[in-house]
Amino acid sequence: MARIELSDLNKSFGAVQAVKNLNFTIEDGEFVVFVGPSGCGKTTTLRMIAGFEDPTSGEIRIDGRVVNDLEPRDRNLGMVFQSHALFPHKNVAQNIEFGLRMKKVAPEERTMRVREVADMVRIGHLLDKMPSQCSGGESQRVALARTLVTNPSTFLLDEPLSSLDAKLRRELRAECDRLHQALKRTFIFVTHDQEEAMTLADRIIVMRAGEIVQVGSPMEIYSNPVNYFVADFFGSPSMNLVAGEVVRDNGIARFRSALFDIRLPERLKTASAGKGTLGIRPEHVGINVGGKTDATLPVRLVEPLGKDTLLYFDAGTDRAFVAVSEGLRMADTRIGERLTLSLDERRLHLFDASGRCIRVS
Amino acid sequence: MATKSSRCLIAAIVRYVILSLWAIIAFFPIYWMVSTSFKPDIQWFAWPPVYFPDPPTLTNYMNVWLGSEQYDQSQYAISSQKPLVSLWNSTVIALSSTFLSVTFGSVLAYGVSRHRILSEARMFQLLMLRMIPPIVVVAPLSLYYSALGLLDTRIGLIMVYFLTTLPYAVWMTKSFIDEVPREVEQAAEILGASRWRTVFEIVLPLIRSGLVATFLFILILTWSEYLLALIITKTQVSMLPIELSKYQGSTEGRVYGRQAALAVGITIPLMIVGLIIRKHLARGFSFGMVRR
Repeated sequence: MARIELSDLNKSFGAVQAVKNLNFTIEDGEFVVFVGPSGCGKTTTLRMIAGFEDPTSGEIRIDGRVVNDLEPRDRNLGMVFQSHALFPHKNVAQNIEFGLRMKKVAPEERTMRVREVADMVRIGHLLDKMPSQCSGGESQRVALARTLVTNPSTFLLDEPLSSLDAKLRRELRAECDRLHQALKRTFIFVTHDQEEAMTLADRIIVMRAGEIVQVGSPMEIYSNPVNYFVADFFGSPSMNLVAGEVVRDNGIARFRSALFDIRLPERLKTASAGKGTLGIRPEHVGINVGGKTDATLPVRLVEPLGKDTLLYFDAGTDRAFVAVSEGLRMADTRIGERLTLSLDERRLHLFDASGRCIRVS
Repeated sequence: MATKSSRCLIAAIVRYVILSLWAIIAFFPIYWMVSTSFKPDIQWFAWPPVYFPDPPTLTNYMNVWLGSEQYDQSQYAISSQKPLVSLWNSTVIALSSTFLSVTFGSVLAYGVSRHRILSEARMFQLLMLRMIPPIVVVAPLSLYYSALGLLDTRIGLIMVYFLTTLPYAVWMTKSFIDEVPREVEQAAEILGASRWRTVFEIVLPLIRSGLVATFLFILILTWSEYLLALIITKTQVSMLPIELSKYQGSTEGRVYGRQAALAVGITIPLMIVGLIIRKHLARGFSFGMVRR
């Protein structure tokens, strides 16, 4: 059981403030993912929870107890590192057994538990091998087993999948999810990969420049990003973001840019005039659907992915305007062909000049 | 036009010829030392040179190491002490000071590598200490040693060798400790290991080859050190390099054969140590031995 609370947590390295005034609570059994670009403070936060970094100020509480002064080994946490951090001079069984030996567990029980967790993460056949003989995926499973065997209250995972190839990443992601379901422990996972965050998390904490930008379920973050940064960060391909301005025309709010002139929906009708950015996800852009037309743009690139086809339109900016078409129906579209686009107004996002999402009704 | 494979062959031949020539030049003095040690005295200075002892003799070894009766006392009595005593002194002093240097050096290096107890500037200053020519410090050192009663004592030599080789030990072991990823240690810590346990069970085994390489490097330095030994020792303690020098320019002239026999005896212990630990040496000197 572990409920982790961070209050007014700060961390500075010299003049650089890596983590700024963090406040949040991770509930027992929750799978929380910290996500953000490199240098946003997510790993530093995880390392403070683990006890490898001392906070400059603020408190970390585990089950109500302040742990700022506790050594990492006294916090009953388990950690899986990005580099796996296996002991290169010990074989797989000795690596897994290490934590039990430190806890002075009897040899017979150690052997039994090593066998148990090795089977759990499907590395029973590797026990006699050295880490240098294991592949990347196997090493990460060994690292997981080494953490699992000590039965920690919370699992801290620091970008554990980033050194693996795409297929292995998917496999191990499913493994993490399965372990979380089976163990019902608290998992704190750090990643810069939004897809990992979306698929694993009960709750995502988006960080940027040492601060929390948004906290929410994957769907909340995806559907209602609080600002331009979150909107742009989540989703693959990412949200179309068109710079322009909001104008008021006879009491009607419109969004205008070089290529778009759109009447804003009812819920945004009170948006004040000025510079802004319009956002819409590629899957909410209709192509040649007839009826309402919001823009007619030339195709710059066609990417048939099998299940879907991505169409990149020339929007007069560096960044293409992307739309998704189901299946391979549009895979033969010629480059330069002009297609009509309609934007689903229920899914439009509007960001003000400072990048904040405008939510007015 | 030469094909690629013939060009490679020519390059390989040229490479091997150059390396073979270099090997001959480098190994000749060692060959000459061993060969001379087995030569009877009339062949020491013979011209044209005698490359292979004819007949090979053990007389030089017997005279130097055992003090054979064949030579009269005046010819043998070059040294105030028997070489076996010097061998014992050199062994005790070199091993003790090297052990101290590597032990304290690696503890200091761990502190520098992991806790930055010395800044980079301080680390350079530490190395700069070693750049001071020993001749500069021997005069004040002998005064201090005289006042402290450390002149002509084993402890005195052990101390001075320990302190003069410490910078090397710190620098070398630090480079090995830096190679051990910090995360490996942190993994041990979060699994319940104390700091000492982590050092002994994780860090030390991982830098073992590096420690062995450092040990041998410093052992060679102290084993063959001459100047400090010459100033600090007088009659009570004698070291092998000092003994060796006594065969040059002594009243008897140059007794090459016996000097060579002594030199072979000085070289063999280091070669034996090197052979015993050769597995670690190759890894230690190649650095980067920890797979990240």
